[in-house]
Amino acid sequence: MSWDSFIWFALGAVFLWAAGAFFAWKERKALVYACTLAGLAVFFAFILGMWISLERPPLRTMGETRLWYSFFLPVAGIIVYSRWRYKWILSFSTLLSLVFICVNLFKPGIHSKSLMPALQSPWFAPHVIVYMFSYALLGAATVMAVYMLIKKHKTTEKEINLTDNLVYVGLAFLTFGMLFGALWAKEAWGTYWTWDPKETWAAATWLCYLVYLHLRKAKPVEWRNACIILLVSFVCLQICWWGINYLPSAQGLSVHTY
Amino acid sequence: MWTKPWNMKEGFLIGGGLLLVGLLLQVALGPIDWSLPAWPVNLILLILLLAVIGAMYALRRKVYAFEWMMHSGAAVPCLVYAAALTILMGLLPQVRMGGVPWLSQMLSFWPFVLIWIWMMVISALAALNHLLRWKVREIPFILNHLGVVVAIVAATLGSADMQTLQLTAFTGEAEWRAVDETGRMVEPGIAIELRQFTMEEYPDHSPKRFASDVTVYTKDGKNVSGTVEVNKPLKVNGWKIYQYGYDVMRGSESAYSVFQLVRDPWILWVYIGIFMMLAGAVCLMFFMAPKPVKS
Repeated sequence: MSWDSFIWFALGAVFLWAAGAFFAWKERKALVYACTLAGLAVFFAFILGMWISLERPPLRTMGETRLWYSFFLPVAGIIVYSRWRYKWILSFSTLLSLVFICVNLFKPGIHSKSLMPALQSPWFAPHVIVYMFSYALLGAATVMAVYMLIKKHKTTEKEINLTDNLVYVGLAFLTFGMLFGALWAKEAWGTYWTWDPKETWAAATWLCYLVYLHLRKAKPVEWRNACIILLVSFVCLQICWWGINYLPSAQGLSVHTY
Repeated sequence: MWTKPWNMKEGFLIGGGLLLVGLLLQVALGPIDWSLPAWPVNLILLILLLAVIGAMYALRRKVYAFEWMMHSGAAVPCLVYAAALTILMGLLPQVRMGGVPWLSQMLSFWPFVLIWIWMMVISALAALNHLLRWKVREIPFILNHLGVVVAIVAATLGSADMQTLQLTAFTGEAEWRAVDETGRMVEPGIAIELRQFTMEEYPDHSPKRFASDVTVYTKDGKNVSGTVEVNKPLKVNGWKIYQYGYDVMRGSESAYSVFQLVRDPWILWVYIGIFMMLAGAVCLMFFMAPKPVKS
């Protein structure tokens, strides 16, 4: 399996996800699940194929992390759909996933076989995968925040409840990602935390989401401020994920540049 | 403001006050020297911190501020300050010397450290409050708040006791000497003899795997044989031995191997904190998230 065949798997998966999203509008529950899960299976088949042919998990390059992100968006979408029955959520997750697929199609980045010794660890896959899943959930929470801030009609209990849930679960996975990273760093480098630029931004992101959680408890009526906190948090998250590659302060200092 | 019940405004003012006190300390004492709280100073600081937290908890009915500190209204401003300073730290290059005055050495910057101490005190008080009115459903809250305090306090107070040495071992010779971070020679009390260095490369000649077969001798007469490679350190007499480097000019023909020796006596407590936080994150998902509303 190579990136050359990506377009076929991507087309198949996006077609199935779009069908799932369509059936969500038509309220055909069984077909929603069948199509979305089939799409996930097709997409995961490609990831698995890459894994085998690269002889390592496809998690190293930015392109490879985008692959997982494209996969987890519909996963997050179907979870939200199953619990809150939002008709639009699958259309949204499909669209966003398509954006990341297109980025990978047009700018696949470097995809070499080599995996430097520091990355050869059982911690590698869980560290990156839980982070990508968390990013997908927190991305969905950000969209909810934007939606609640700009829409005309009154914000409902249900919308706030969904946003809270996305953040709680997203933050839990963010915590897993960060702490798995710490445990791994101890095995690889002898220290669990060195305030490397990536780690600093991971800490900043984590603290921002904690602000949201505590603000929701302290002032439940001030959901607007909480939504703004979510936007700030998501900016930090993006800087942590790929922004530090362009940040002057992080140049040449990070051990996290791949 | 300052009328009961306090909420977030008072917290923002207290935080601002802490920043100010921090700046004064920075001017008066200079940046924090993190090598100072080495054993037993860190033990004394720990006892002091626990005593302060205990006293604040005991006086919570008498001093309203201590009562208020246990609530989320106090947590928000504290977290906002901590996040803002951490973002600032991410935006400015962090270097040992030079850079932006004070802010390029954020970890030694008094205001930053005072805000983090405030966060630890708040979190510990909240955890204590939930712990002492024990109920099973308080476990998630306690794990999250106590976990973060245990991990961060142990990591911070323990940092001065952490030893990181570099030892270069040649094939067939037991090496007892290492150098510390300042370049000073130290004897870690163990010796490493390199039996064989192996290295595999990818087709593009980037390293795929490098490993050292070693025998480690200890002062108390043990000798341990094993393989040290990246991500697979060897543990002997409280030291963790990491594969660090080799003669890059000669690659697989390298006649020596460089090891990093790390001793961290506080690591157990850091791990306990981390595992509490991991368990806390599981709880966050399953027990602390609000129940879904369907209609």
